Amino acid sequence: MNDDILKEILSAYDDADYPEEFSSKYDIMECLSDQNGILTFLVQDHEGTRYVAKCFEKQFPEKAVGNGILTELSHKGLPKYIASYENDEMTVTVREYIEGKSLDRYASEQDISQQETVDICMQLCDILAFLHHRDKPVIHRDIKPQNIIVRSDGSIALIDFDIAREYSNGNDTDTVFFGTRNYAPPEQYGFSQTDARTDIYSLGILLRFLLTGSTKENSSIKVYRPLENIIKKCTGFSPKDRFSDVRQVKKALEKANPKVQKIRAAVIAAAAVAGIVLLIFAGIKIYRHVTDSPFSEDKIPAYITDEEQTREAVKYMKNKYDTDIFNDDTSIADVGDLRRAMIELYGLDRDYVYGINEDMPQENDAYFLPWGWDDKQTLDKEIAVYAAVKVHDPSVVADWSSLKDDNGYYPGVRVAVAFAEEKGILTGINRPGDITLGDMAIILANTDRVFENR
Amino acid sequence: MYGVNSMNEKATTQELWGKLFTMRSVEEYLDKTGESRFPLFSEYITALCDAKGENEESVIKRGNIESSYGHRLFKGTRNPSRDTVIQLAFGLELDSAGAQQLLKVARVTALHPRVKRDAVIAYCLYHHKDFMETQELLYKNNLPTIGGGRSE
Repeated sequence: MNDDILKEILSAYDDADYPEEFSSKYDIMECLSDQNGILTFLVQDHEGTRYVAKCFEKQFPEKAVGNGILTELSHKGLPKYIASYENDEMTVTVREYIEGKSLDRYASEQDISQQETVDICMQLCDILAFLHHRDKPVIHRDIKPQNIIVRSDGSIALIDFDIAREYSNGNDTDTVFFGTRNYAPPEQYGFSQTDARTDIYSLGILLRFLLTGSTKENSSIKVYRPLENIIKKCTGFSPKDRFSDVRQVKKALEKANPKVQKIRAAVIAAAAVAGIVLLIFAGIKIYRHVTDSPFSEDKIPAYITDEEQTREAVKYMKNKYDTDIFNDDTSIADVGDLRRAMIELYGLDRDYVYGINEDMPQENDAYFLPWGWDDKQTLDKEIAVYAAVKVHDPSVVADWSSLKDDNGYYPGVRVAVAFAEEKGILTGINRPGDITLGDMAIILANTDRVFENR
Repeated sequence: MYGVNSMNEKATTQELWGKLFTMRSVEEYLDKTGESRFPLFSEYITALCDAKGENEESVIKRGNIESSYGHRLFKGTRNPSRDTVIQLAFGLELDSAGAQQLLKVARVTALHPRVKRDAVIAYCLYHHKDFMETQELLYKNNLPTIGGGRSE
């Protein structure tokens, strides 16, 4: 056969373009991507094991920004570094090839349950926490479904560090736009330097994509509210409105986890049944107790926070205190919101509210919140209750002990929660842990009513 | 291996590449069938087979695919590897543009001009060489053969 044409074609491929040792060890099998001046190949060694090779031309050193980063990182959610080869023109880095499906394909081929979505995002949080909490934090900057591989056992890996960078103080803005438009936050367009919150933004968009099939907000698709709140807090326009640490995102996901919520719903249902049984046996006594609470007697706690109740509580607080704190009632409350309410609504002294008991983080008359939290930390239901009760009557939560109890809460908090449960203050707040501003309004309004009736 | 290339030679090769790596759009197929969604791989190869008036067996044989595995591909109970998709392209006697389309429907990577092995495969499809001739050319050029280990 006459294959002169083929010879001519093949003559364009010069093995000497690639480092010799690389060429002798691996065959190039597929081109996975040819982007930003970086060629990514699927290669195969002589035993048939596959790897990923990235080729950087030396004349464009700026293209290799992400290249050095993965060589020193070892985590099961990241492709292992194998070796680097170079000649005068080119550096080739070989890494583990992770068998599996990219998350975009995986998501298009099957319905991912809410549970699985949360699992995937929590795994991603772990990988990002590993990257962000190094001495020199690594920011991936291109979190998207195409860069996440789902292995057959359901574990995930994050790939493609082409545009990752190590965070350094002093650079005010990123000058070059990389990243993928739908998933990239405003600062990646050059508003300010990217840091960990850049990845947190993309994580929020990813969560929305997995839940709704779209990266854009769509008001006609209802997202389970605790998750919607996480998306909102991840994707604030300004980095300072977002979670500051990916570990907070994981914690929030854990708490919003539908599985946990289901168990909780079952517990609440069981408690309701137990409550009915108690009613039968101790009718009048319980009836008196219930009428002492600010709620209609026949109301059994609903599984999802009742929007009407939120609206009513926010209105009550606004009328009583003329405040705008609760305006955005669906966003996650933080410790700063609680402190602000204590100072502005209840007239507490600022130093009292912000004072930190340096010696020992225990309940103490001299400090209102003795634990020294950052204002930006998300607010736990238990702490809101603690503050709400303490502002009316510190003796309820007085210094019980300096030690944490078995549940990980401080005794004063436990006492406050027990008090709140007894009085019905927590009716309608069924979300464990982090709460919204609406929930905070409910807790404060209900506590106010309990103490007014006393 | 063939010495330094002049710019001229590179330009000619570029032209050739242009032809070899063209992709026929999947939309063309969709227009023809009146379907609006991206086809499943099994539907797509069945449609191509029907259009040629061939039976599955001869396509599978021509692509040198193990028979029971081949039928499972047509049934849609197996997802093909990239090499198997290429074998089916030979089995269906597709040209290089048709093979690119087939690779796209299978959601695997396209034949790429930067990959020497792909260039040989695209060339062979373009010139309607059969599967065994292609394997021979790959082997001769010290490139991994299709569906097997490396040629040594």
